[in-house]
Amino acid sequence: MSTQPLVTIVPWTFIAQILNLFIQVYLIKRFLFKPINEILEKRRQLADKEIKDARNTQSEAANLKEQYENSLSNAHAEAERIVSDAQKTAQATADEMLKSAEKEAAGMRSRAEADIAQEKMRALNEAKDEIGSLAMDIAGKVVEKEINESDHRKLIDDFLSHVGEAS
Amino acid sequence: MDFDVSGARIFFQVPTNIPVLGDFVISETLLISWLVMLVITLLCIFLTRGLKVEGISKRQALAELLVETANNFVRNNTGGNRFDKLIPFVSALFVTSVVSNLISLIGLRSPTADLSTEAAWAIVVFVMITATKIKTGGLGGYLKGFTTPIAVMTPFNVLSELATPVSMACRHFGNILSGVVINGLIYAGLAVASKALFGLINSTLAQIPILDIGIPAFTSIYFDWFSGVMQAFIFTMLTIMYIANAAEE
Repeated sequence: MSTQPLVTIVPWTFIAQILNLFIQVYLIKRFLFKPINEILEKRRQLADKEIKDARNTQSEAANLKEQYENSLSNAHAEAERIVSDAQKTAQATADEMLKSAEKEAAGMRSRAEADIAQEKMRALNEAKDEIGSLAMDIAGKVVEKEINESDHRKLIDDFLSHVGEAS
Repeated sequence: MDFDVSGARIFFQVPTNIPVLGDFVISETLLISWLVMLVITLLCIFLTRGLKVEGISKRQALAELLVETANNFVRNNTGGNRFDKLIPFVSALFVTSVVSNLISLIGLRSPTADLSTEAAWAIVVFVMITATKIKTGGLGGYLKGFTTPIAVMTPFNVLSELATPVSMACRHFGNILSGVVINGLIYAGLAVASKALFGLINSTLAQIPILDIGIPAFTSIYFDWFSGVMQAFIFTMLTIMYIANAAEE
């Protein structure tokens, strides 16, 4: 089998090697760089997306927290308001009740006093009448003589009205 | 005992009748180059099988490591992303060179032990350097660059420009060829030595080159492994540096 010289440039081999180099470039690009770069890019996007998602979630959580804190402080204020309202209402109701009770009591007392006074008056009148007729009877019996009743009545009434004033 | 180092074997010769180019020769160089290409391509396909975004296999991790290394190598040496298009070219150059150099370990003749291969690569690189220079400074700027610092220097500048591909090709070729020659010498020398040594004991034993077993493996650590990887690295490195420099002017 023949051999070529040790140090030589064979033109066709030279050209073929140039083409081989470019074919090799294409093959290595097609079978190594393209798929690997695609996968690296995909991973980078995934990582970016996850970081973004995490950031979104974080800010969302912060928002929610703020919202909750706001609602919580609102709730506190609301509760305070309700309690103070209730206290006020209770106070007012109590005051009103007390007032009406006092009023009622006062009314009852005045009515009772009026009743008492009326009763006293009635009793007094009855007593006057009783005493008057009694006095007339007694006097009639004593003098045995019917004196003019109307004069006597007048006399007795005078006396009795004095009694009422004295009592 | 005869020892000679010859060029690549010629398997077929296809007559083309084209003047300067001569016959198309299917030599050891070309066949093994194709084998190298096949090996590299199959390796790439094997490495990128079943790629996943998460929970990757060791194979994918290796493939990603290789790609990232290539990306970083080119980006660090050119200082930016301007030459990202060159990454597959540079990687192809490096891996073809390494596999070509190391294929001699399995007893095949390296395609890089043929100057045609390195000359082809160097010319491609030279065209790229020149194209980058013209793209950067325009044709006028490129031609004017030869007259710096003074017009008298023009012939030397042209010479140094032309010396770039020649030196790149010859450096690589020389190193690999020297490896081939020295390994051949070591094998032959050890065969002679073992014939002389074991001939003292027994004449049949002398026919077996016993010293050739094992010992050349140690010398090949330098001449095949180190030199092979180193030359591939140097060639690739120079390619990037020249192109990056060409873009800076």
